[in-house]
Amino acid sequence: MSVPAEVQEEKDQVKLLEPSRPPMSRTVSNTLNPGCRSEILLQAKKNTVLKSHGRPPWYDEDGKAIHDAFVIGIAGGSASGKTHVARCIVQALGSIPTVVILSQDSFYKKHGPEDLKLAFQNRYDFDHPDAIDMPLFAACLADLKAGRQSNIPIYSFKDHNRLDETKYLYGAAIIIVEGILALHDPDLRDLYDLKIFVQCDSDLMLARRIRRDVTERGRSVDGILEQYLRYVKPAYDNFVQPTSRYANIIVPGSDNTVAIELIATHVRRKIEDRSRYLRQHLARIGPMDLDLKEPVNRCFPNLTVLRQTPQLLGIFTILRDRNARRADFIFFTDRLSTFLSEKAMEFLPYKPKRVTTPVGSTYVGKQLAVDHVCGVSILRSGGPLERGLRRVIQDISIGSLLIQSEDSTGEPLLLHLMLPTCIRQRHLAARSFVFLLDAQIGTGAAAFMAIRVLLDHGVPQENIIFVTFIVAAAGGVRVLRRAYPGVRIVCGALDPVLRESWALWDTVALGQDQGDSEKRDVGTGTPTAKTREEAESEGRKVWVVEPGIGHIGECL
Amino acid sequence: MPESLPPSVYTLPQTAQLEALYTIIRDKETSRGDFLFYSDRIIRLLVEEGLNHLPVLPKTVVTPTGATYEGVGFEGKICGVSILRAGEAMEAGLREVCRSVRIGKILIQRDEETAQAKLFYSKLPPDIEKRYVLLLDPMLATGGSAIKAVEVLKEHNVPEDRIIFVNLIASPEGLRNFCGKYPSTKVITGWIDEGLNEKAYIIPGLGDFGERRYCS
Repeated sequence: MSVPAEVQEEKDQVKLLEPSRPPMSRTVSNTLNPGCRSEILLQAKKNTVLKSHGRPPWYDEDGKAIHDAFVIGIAGGSASGKTHVARCIVQALGSIPTVVILSQDSFYKKHGPEDLKLAFQNRYDFDHPDAIDMPLFAACLADLKAGRQSNIPIYSFKDHNRLDETKYLYGAAIIIVEGILALHDPDLRDLYDLKIFVQCDSDLMLARRIRRDVTERGRSVDGILEQYLRYVKPAYDNFVQPTSRYANIIVPGSDNTVAIELIATHVRRKIEDRSRYLRQHLARIGPMDLDLKEPVNRCFPNLTVLRQTPQLLGIFTILRDRNARRADFIFFTDRLSTFLSEKAMEFLPYKPKRVTTPVGSTYVGKQLAVDHVCGVSILRSGGPLERGLRRVIQDISIGSLLIQSEDSTGEPLLLHLMLPTCIRQRHLAARSFVFLLDAQIGTGAAAFMAIRVLLDHGVPQENIIFVTFIVAAAGGVRVLRRAYPGVRIVCGALDPVLRESWALWDTVALGQDQGDSEKRDVGTGTPTAKTREEAESEGRKVWVVEPGIGHIGECL
Repeated sequence: MPESLPPSVYTLPQTAQLEALYTIIRDKETSRGDFLFYSDRIIRLLVEEGLNHLPVLPKTVVTPTGATYEGVGFEGKICGVSILRAGEAMEAGLREVCRSVRIGKILIQRDEETAQAKLFYSKLPPDIEKRYVLLLDPMLATGGSAIKAVEVLKEHNVPEDRIIFVNLIASPEGLRNFCGKYPSTKVITGWIDEGLNEKAYIIPGLGDFGERRYCS
């Protein structure tokens, strides 16, 4: 039986997995990769989204999710080796982006005082189907399968009760559900793409149980046997064993490497089919198939460009100048971000409010009419906009999404997300307004992914306001419009050009004449390429907005 | 809003969001902390708008990716002049937008004998005649002290058309008086209210700005 993993452990997990990051490939054929990784995956934590690398796009060019998560249900007697099978599958899958092992133990019912008393006397039947909150279990699984967030309950074996806090899960491509009654409930069964039953001899299961409970939980053999005879054995015979008839595959509880290899191969093939489908569609996203003749404001009615005042043009002239001093760059991005945030505030709803002024007059004005407002910043370059947003709403909570481009294909990968509480909870997300922050919209790939994440969480399109310094008119802004017509974009400037370039070339080559360290520090992160050939051999392509303001993360 | 606004008067775009900011600072129940925060936000918007009336010159720069951009460069030196004591509250907003800007101060009070605005104190940058001046006073009621302040600036050789008067709330009477006297001085105001009461307070207004900002 497992205790839900803690956040710290999740972090460790991710950290540990990164050094041995497998080649970025969404096809999984060559990625069974034994070694230190396997050790880690063998101890895969339950109720935690495990990731070997970032999550590639899970939607098509229309912004619609392409497929549900692949769900595997694993049932079997207590101590039959379900968790072992689950972990072996995870290990055998290799570099699958995101996997979560969901344990039935999390879904024990919230106990009233009487049940609680029984539980502490070891007189509560935890093995009976009635002990599990099946409707909640099925609802959480259905959300995860559909790509939505879920906040699963946490059950404490120490308190014998469900805790008030929940565990937030989002973004798993594969979900493995394990529990003695995983195949019992018809609603749950409907959600599985693959049903597995782990078959094991009763005496072997009892032997394993005794060993585990004595060494790990310090229980007496008598107590274990009493519980076994009173609850575990009858439940197995009456409820668990009979569900084996629903299984697609029956796996032996020991010496099962061949069975697991077969399952992993099956799952890999299923996932691979989906990957090909995905790549084909994503290849079509890009500026090439865009109609450049249409003017942007007609083409994108939800795009708001700041009034091009002398001050704004002056600020942009400083920001665009490659010889701008760093201090100036910081100061003017800050000033611009405040101004953009003020503009973005205009797109929140307001309602009438009547107040009395200190001179005794009545004034009918306006008041913000929103339940929740938060920011989500696309790292790293959304950072400079956070300060501006804080100037406008002091205590606003600002979450973050780390989205980076995959080196070889330039496609976005979701590496990490930390969202404000009002988005994590689905019922709050529906009433939340979100300022999405990023320095520019070029190809729009990161913006596209970030918006999809918010929609997955239940934030309505109309409640998303994308705040950015620059939008490339020839870029992904048109794709965004087609996919998400309700999303509002507020920007400072609309730049005409978007072109492909080698990552290390432009900035370094042009930066050579800057000896002065007081000058803007362009290209600090990537000072290696001295020639165009070197930049090309690095093999990383990027899209450049022109005239643009350069790579803002490196300038700050 | 009055139909015939003098041509030298500019207001901020009258959006729902701006109205909401004003609703907060007008409300007598608003705490001092909120009053400070929300009036600062309006002041920042006003200063940004005021700066738009300064001249710029074409300027071409090369961007980090080697493209050229035909933009503009800021031209002309500026300074702020606040009318004490409420005008001081706007200095921080000006400094947030213009780093290390020079700021002069003028203290004008009503002379109890003549009921005229009278200059009590002024401290202005020595080269003020070469600068554009942002004159800061949050409330334009009768216009008496603002008119007096411009008079002082003119005595220091600042041309009328180099002065930009920035305020949060103006009364129609005040605008008429001020613009009648100095038609070439630009007035940037956030909101134009109904009028004045018998004590020359703007209604609905927000009470005494300095009092609420510093004392209440």
